Amino acid sequence: MIKLTVNGIEHSLDVEVDTPLLWVVRDFLGLKGSKFGCGAGLCGACTMHLNGNPIRTCITPISAVADQTITTIEGVGNVDSLSSVQQAWIEHNVPQCGYCQSGQIMSATALLASNAQPNDHDIDSAMSGNICRCGTYPRIKAAIQSVAANKATNNVELFTNIMETK
Amino acid sequence: MTSSSTELKQSRRSFLKSTAMGSGGLMISIALPSCANLKNNGMQHAGETDQWNANAWLRIDSNNSIHFVLDRVEMGQGTYTGMTTLLAEELEVDPEKVNVSFAGVDSVYRNTIYGIQITGGSTSVTSSWHIIRAAGAATRIMLIKAAANTWGINANECNAENGAVINKSNGHPLFDQQITFGQLASIAATYSVPNDIPLKDKADFKVIGKYNKRLDALKKATGTADFGIDTELPGMKYAVFTRAARWDSQIKHFDADQIKKMPGVEQVFAINKPSTIGIAIVAKSYWQARKAQRALNVEWYKSELTDVDDASIFAQYKKDLAADSGNNVRSEGDTKSALENAAQTITAEYEMPFLAHATLEPQNCTAWAKPGSLEIWAPTQSPDMAQVAAAKATDYSLSNIKIHTTFIGGGFGRRINQDFVAEAAAISEMAQQPIKLIWSREEDTQRDWYRPSSYHKLSASINNSGEITGWNHQMAGSGVFDYFVGDAAPAQYPFMPKFMFGILESAGKLGEGIIAPADGSIYEGAEAIPYDFANINVDYKKSDSGILVGNWRSVGYSHNGFIVETFIEQLAQLPAIKAQKDSYQFRYDLLKNHPRAQAVLKMAAAKAHWGSPLPGCTQGISIHKSFGTWVAEVADVQIKNSATNDNQIKVKRVVCVVDCGQVVNPDIVIAQMEGGIIFALTAALYGKITIKDGTVQQTNFHDYQLLRMNQAPQIDVHIIDSDEKPTGVGEPGVPPLASAVANAITAKTGQYFYSLPLTLE
Repeated sequence: MIKLTVNGIEHSLDVEVDTPLLWVVRDFLGLKGSKFGCGAGLCGACTMHLNGNPIRTCITPISAVADQTITTIEGVGNVDSLSSVQQAWIEHNVPQCGYCQSGQIMSATALLASNAQPNDHDIDSAMSGNICRCGTYPRIKAAIQSVAANKATNNVELFTNIMETK
Repeated sequence: MTSSSTELKQSRRSFLKSTAMGSGGLMISIALPSCANLKNNGMQHAGETDQWNANAWLRIDSNNSIHFVLDRVEMGQGTYTGMTTLLAEELEVDPEKVNVSFAGVDSVYRNTIYGIQITGGSTSVTSSWHIIRAAGAATRIMLIKAAANTWGINANECNAENGAVINKSNGHPLFDQQITFGQLASIAATYSVPNDIPLKDKADFKVIGKYNKRLDALKKATGTADFGIDTELPGMKYAVFTRAARWDSQIKHFDADQIKKMPGVEQVFAINKPSTIGIAIVAKSYWQARKAQRALNVEWYKSELTDVDDASIFAQYKKDLAADSGNNVRSEGDTKSALENAAQTITAEYEMPFLAHATLEPQNCTAWAKPGSLEIWAPTQSPDMAQVAAAKATDYSLSNIKIHTTFIGGGFGRRINQDFVAEAAAISEMAQQPIKLIWSREEDTQRDWYRPSSYHKLSASINNSGEITGWNHQMAGSGVFDYFVGDAAPAQYPFMPKFMFGILESAGKLGEGIIAPADGSIYEGAEAIPYDFANINVDYKKSDSGILVGNWRSVGYSHNGFIVETFIEQLAQLPAIKAQKDSYQFRYDLLKNHPRAQAVLKMAAAKAHWGSPLPGCTQGISIHKSFGTWVAEVADVQIKNSATNDNQIKVKRVVCVVDCGQVVNPDIVIAQMEGGIIFALTAALYGKITIKDGTVQQTNFHDYQLLRMNQAPQIDVHIIDSDEKPTGVGEPGVPPLASAVANAITAKTGQYFYSLPLTLE
């Protein structure tokens, strides 16, 4: 049995220890927002937060995250309670096909959580691990910049949907 | 009423049909031609009590909910929003109030341009511009009539607004009465569709050309849009499929015994159908199936492709073209004598690479074979071809196969080929349980239907006054049509029995250009060269490489936009021409027969401050028409000293001007241009699939690189205001980009580019 906390809820799972976190979250916990893109940590579609840091979960074995805290796109916000980043994504019409966007939002949220006022270079560095085949990069950047601008006024909520732990 | 709507009045009337529903709702559907027999294959609404017509587009329920069936798949290009906007405009509702579902297979959903149910060729708005609006307008007219009859007034005393009909007969807004569409639906359902269905004039549009939201953004920003890969079924298992490295290989031997003992593995078996060959592993979880696959050893029979590589393929193209110039696809004047009598002749040879689609959602499909029925959930661009592919790979007949479509994680033409559907169908039939087949990225890269590689030979003649007198463009490469006609031809004739599929495929191949559309996948964009030369000759020699090929975003235009516009640049740089005008003016003057092209080019030059590049940059310009749409792009490019080639070419800014006729959603047009530019820049800087020993050498994003944010340029898009009919948007941003970038580098270094990706000398 491996224990881990996902979006504030603790789970005990009986899975093979080398199963990547991505497939545990998608197929055992039923949270489908995180996507499979490359299986090699190259595209970022599977990005989740491990203790607040963005990681590529398609290459992270479940054993490596036992007893730790995971946040997925579902923990960032939901359709009734959007996070500031999600709100900005909608206002800027960021998504095209949308497949990479959960991962993009996870990387952007982690960036803004650690750096309230990222400059252009900071945004490029934090986001260049996430591929968007549709080419939404200019809008992703604009959306991040708009959240950063609002952050100066403290009018930002990066997480609106994490269940209270216990 | 516009003239075009008058023309279409009769056909519209005969198309549309209204139906009353048991619960007091109204349904607008399309009357089927008598020969069509696809019953019960339309969309399915779980848990609904009313029968939903197989071929319905629009339904209004008594609770005032409005349902629209989207018959063009959403893969990022914006149909979910755009098509809904067309309906909402004429119906008089807020697009956000419309519930959108994805269509199943039905002949009424066929793309009128292609005769099959396909989303491709940047045709969705063009092909649906009238009929979807007519469905909305007819419904509005019937609802107004229902309200007028209820109130005992004339229809012209009523207005439809925001999902309700307003009684304006009382002389003052304070006394207006209103009834919702839902309340009127049961009455309207007793009327037949009106004879005259006038559509709004552009001046009266409330949302078309103005609506700037994306209706799918909320789902996609919250991880709640269901893509094909997210399909879940009760008792569903996971499948992986091992294919040969060379697609034509047959299975010689494999050892299932050890694999079957691995954790979670339930079934291991071979599939040996004409176009679906491999070993399936079905397991309880995806990871268990994938792990088991690593332990699987398969021996394959020798392939016809074993000795094929890029060098042999290009040698074949050149040999074939030298032996026979093939089909003449454009001939004006006497190019041969223009070249013979020229003061100067310029020639060039181009080699264009194979390219993979690399949709971020890998190919996948979920299938559930039961006695007597097969259900498929697939991210496919062509549901009726998916149905044919599933029928060919199983013992089910077309009428017993139901296709569900989903949100699609990128298409770009990849999902016109239905191999992933055939595989899932065959695996579920053998396994006798519901399975989800997921391809790995490596499988997705190595078993694509690639943008064909091609060889081009160009020559131009110049007279003593520095005028271009002749243009000759000859080319060779595989045609993509041959690689999807096997599914497309039977999809056009769904009433034909399965044993006819092979005959239909052969007939389709023979009928290419006669009963089927001509396959322009190598020459489109080359034969339509818009420049005013007295003598033009364009020849295409079909030369099949044996490598699987398919439609890749902007298809033939993807390479011809580069070839034509870099060769034009080479001519513009000739001293005799350069002394008279710059490369913008050279193009502009030669486009004198295409005023829309001139307007696009002129605006691009103005918006990019042509002649005043960004600091450290040089500029390149390019223009290309594809899918009815003119796009001009100006790239500001910097060459940096750096160890690696891809970091040397830095595209700082791309200014793009597009004329796509009337616009439905301006921001989606802008987004499609941005996306097309980045897609094309990826190909310009990195794109190359290479073949060695008959196998694809690239596997994942480390060796088939996609552009990342730090390499993305600033992009400024401008849309020409137009009253013309709408034309394509999803693809036309791609073709001019690589040439604009190449031409900017030429301006700096003098180097000309005859292949891609761009490689500095």
